[in-house]
Amino acid sequence: MKHLPKHIRPRWRYLAVELETWPDADLSRGSFQRELWFAAQNFVGDAGSADADLTVLDFHFSGCVGETVVRARRGYVSEARAALACIDEISGHSVGIRVRGVSGTVRACEERYLRRPAGVPEERSVVFADSDRTALARDTVLDVRLSSGFVGATELDFE
Amino acid sequence: MYEAAHAYPDGESTAARLADTAARYGYDGLVVRARDATPDYEAIRAATPIDVVDAVEVVADTPDRASGGIGNYRPKATLLLLQGGTNALNRFAVEQERVDVLTRPMAHDGDFNHVLARAARENGVRVEFDLGPVLRLDGGHRVQAIRNLRKLRELVDHYDAPYVVSGTPRSHLQLRASRELVAVGETIGFSADQIREGLAEWGRLAERNRRLTSESFIAPGVEKASHEEDD
Repeated sequence: MKHLPKHIRPRWRYLAVELETWPDADLSRGSFQRELWFAAQNFVGDAGSADADLTVLDFHFSGCVGETVVRARRGYVSEARAALACIDEISGHSVGIRVRGVSGTVRACEERYLRRPAGVPEERSVVFADSDRTALARDTVLDVRLSSGFVGATELDFE
Repeated sequence: MYEAAHAYPDGESTAARLADTAARYGYDGLVVRARDATPDYEAIRAATPIDVVDAVEVVADTPDRASGGIGNYRPKATLLLLQGGTNALNRFAVEQERVDVLTRPMAHDGDFNHVLARAARENGVRVEFDLGPVLRLDGGHRVQAIRNLRKLRELVDHYDAPYVVSGTPRSHLQLRASRELVAVGETIGFSADQIREGLAEWGRLAERNRRLTSESFIAPGVEKASHEEDD
């Protein structure tokens, strides 16, 4: 169909979203989009969810951190934030989610808030809770592997 | 604004990691609700740009046991939290001036009423709005949690009882930034200011208790101040 004249096209806001998981998780754009729709529908309802019209645009995820741009209709940023905050797990993996900022264009959003996180976490052996463990380190933070799962720590815990 | 979290071994991230994430998320401070956790607060405060508050959360199934815990930990911790969740415990907590915060009053079978709200105001016991179930549950359990929060909010509002707000994260992944908590709060009927005040209240409480326990404080209105020596 012929696209709409400019004055009548919907206005959008773009949310720069930061993601974090334990090292064993793998996320894709599809699973994140599905979870976002579920979260929005469960929390703000069908009507609110349709109004906010949340779409995942740009999705990058590697080595337990990710960045993405979520598009929401102008005036529904608060609903979008609420829906994002209510995403606790994606395909069974716990996720940490935070909105870094909101912009009026995708380009501004990327330039201002997104900075392609670097590389693969480095494996190290550490002593945690009185025994030897392996940990995956990024900058100053480490995720220590225990038999029951992971524990989040920082360099400070090993000094 | 402050957030209050469970640290390893009560939760899945160490206090240092939680403080690191909270600082990145824009919080001014982190309250560690310690049950078994014993983090090195001095080292964490030195390494992170935000305030880290040592708190103890007393968990007991009866008021008698809770009373023992309070007596034990009150002199040691900056903030003393008591987990509610039964009518007897909620009642006990709001009548104890020594308790700073009654946490999760509506969890399990706990309930709240006008008598408790009034007692909480008189004794200065902060009632916690726990947004955790709203963030992490779904379906019927979440509906129930939101309904309970509404009841609690109406009582707290009407009787002007003091309160705090928290998302009760158990790991750095469950931590949510304050603006996200405000958005969630607004969707379930809180005002944005209510959520912000509730998050800021942790910091005010910590500051008050630190002043009261500092060496210069003698009695209300009487403080030891530094002054010039007489010639």
